[in-house]
Amino acid sequence: GKEKASQLFSEGSAFDSATFAEHLPSQFVFPNTLPGQMGSRLLELSFMGLNRLEDEEDEQNRGSGGYLPRDAWHRLARRVQCCFKTAPSFHYMMGSFYAEPPPPKPRIE
Amino acid sequence: TSQVQRGLEKVTSAQVDQKTAEVVQYFLVKDQKKIPVRRAELVKNVVKEYRNIYPEILKRAARIFDQVFGLKLVEIDNRNHMYILVNNLETTDSASPNEWLTNPKMGLLFVILSVIFMKGGVVRENLIWNTLKKLRVDQGEKHEEFGDVRRVVTDEFVRQRYLEYLRIPHTEPLEHEFRWGQRADKEVSKAKILEFMGQLHEQEPQSWTQQYRDAYSLSQGAQATTSSLR
Amino acid sequence: MSRQMGDSHRRFLQAMMGRGITDEQGALRLYQHCCETHKTQCAPDKLDDFIDTINSKLQPMFMQIRKGMSEDNGQQYYALVNMAETEITRMTSDYADNELELFRKTMDLIVSSENGKASSTEILNSTDSMTSKKLKKSETEHLLNRLVNDKWLCEKHGEYTLSTRCIIEMEPYIRAMYQDQVKVCHICHNIAFQCQICENPTCGIKIHNPCVARYFKGRTEPHCPACDDFWPHEIPEVRRPHTKSRR
Ligand SMILES: [Zn+2]
Ligand SMILES: [Zn+2]
Repeated sequence: GKEKASQLFSEGSAFDSATFAEHLPSQFVFPNTLPGQMGSRLLELSFMGLNRLEDEEDEQNRGSGGYLPRDAWHRLARRVQCCFKTAPSFHYMMGSFYAEPPPPKPRIE
Repeated sequence: TSQVQRGLEKVTSAQVDQKTAEVVQYFLVKDQKKIPVRRAELVKNVVKEYRNIYPEILKRAARIFDQVFGLKLVEIDNRNHMYILVNNLETTDSASPNEWLTNPKMGLLFVILSVIFMKGGVVRENLIWNTLKKLRVDQGEKHEEFGDVRRVVTDEFVRQRYLEYLRIPHTEPLEHEFRWGQRADKEVSKAKILEFMGQLHEQEPQSWTQQYRDAYSLSQGAQATTSSLR
Repeated sequence: MSRQMGDSHRRFLQAMMGRGITDEQGALRLYQHCCETHKTQCAPDKLDDFIDTINSKLQPMFMQIRKGMSEDNGQQYYALVNMAETEITRMTSDYADNELELFRKTMDLIVSSENGKASSTEILNSTDSMTSKKLKKSETEHLLNRLVNDKWLCEKHGEYTLSTRCIIEMEPYIRAMYQDQVKVCHICHNIAFQCQICENPTCGIKIHNPCVARYFKGRTEPHCPACDDFWPHEIPEVRRPHTKSRR
């Protein structure tokens, strides 16, 4: 069925989430690829994706999730980072627990 | 306010600075899991007896986040007084690959937020689950990367305020709808999502007229500008 | 020495928050990238001044960018560290209480070892004496992997050592908690885990492997700097920093 909201969007291009999902795996690419190079390489880059199911080279890339490379989601995250203004978080070990002296150890002479 | 002024007269500058530093540390801890901070917990756990000068402490903390860290302290809910940290610096395309530790969940979140946005701001949950299924992410199965997908999407992302997951009344069986959460509104650029869509589908972003208007509306403010390096 | 912070400093600090630690070359490249992005001047010999500016502003929050040497390759590294233990810092939730207990036990094993290593077997055995909720074998293995990913421990051939990041951040804690037990390098005076030890029983000084390489470089007959006995261990090669060409 159609979502109520999409009825409001009669002008302009339609957006089909199924098509989106089909195109998306081409974006699971190496982080060094600059966004500007995307357009012309969409088809070449589809080796990452669902439309090369029969390719034996992808055998080792197949995780339990199917035919996407193991780090597909890391690659997509890197690719779409520019859309987010997320603050980096600060992680540390010092001060994360009570400082207690360890039990005395027998010294081996 | 005069109450704050009177309060400030009773404490030393060093005391205020120390409390401010503690508030900064507190926010940094809470930001590890991207959980918003409520004013009530801030007062109870950190500010304590300095509560009468709370507005001044918060103002100074915001200034430290801005001037030292390049972060913005943002109120996402002015009824419940909840705050988050967002980035005040633009991401640069040319950053080296290991600049940021990439969190694969951001990829998952991106897919969901994009579909919601492109579909007008609200979608029934089935559309999201079906889209994810095409990407081999099944809410019914344990996912290699995300584990319990349903929990990540309907619980974790919701608690972090990236998404809203709301019941649709009179649905049998019970259905929900997804919307952008208050954190997404502040942290995610609709303009950049539209640019991405344009490249992916090899179309001009303007071809999605309504989404284009939405992305570049005045309410989007700083998110709409593609480069605003100070 | 401290000037006002600009966007280039903030960007550098944000990157350090994300990475935790970076080597000297990485720090220089990051510094150049930050200055170029915000169109400010930069010079390689100004990196430490640049970091001092950031540190002066971080000090009230007990945060610092500290420099330290890797016991593995002798290179200098920069790490963003926390320096205080308070009610607030104890709220961090990367690791559960029982996971932190096991991490402390692993540190105990490493500090008291002669070679600065703890085997996975030793670590697994130490779960028996845990006072908080005992970790199962699979949980311990999962935890050790996370600690390695988060750069608190290093793993090689089933043995665990403290990472450079861990040593830089935990150094004051280790000195205070382990006092006489912890080894100190005779050459650089920093705490030492993976090191060579003088075999003279009345001497017993310790020297980091990279400090041995540098101190004894070019000497045909190495002698202990403290007691003059012949230094019987193999002298490692000095390792040069790996410089990548700029893109
Ligand atoms: Zn040394
Ligand atoms: Zn000696």
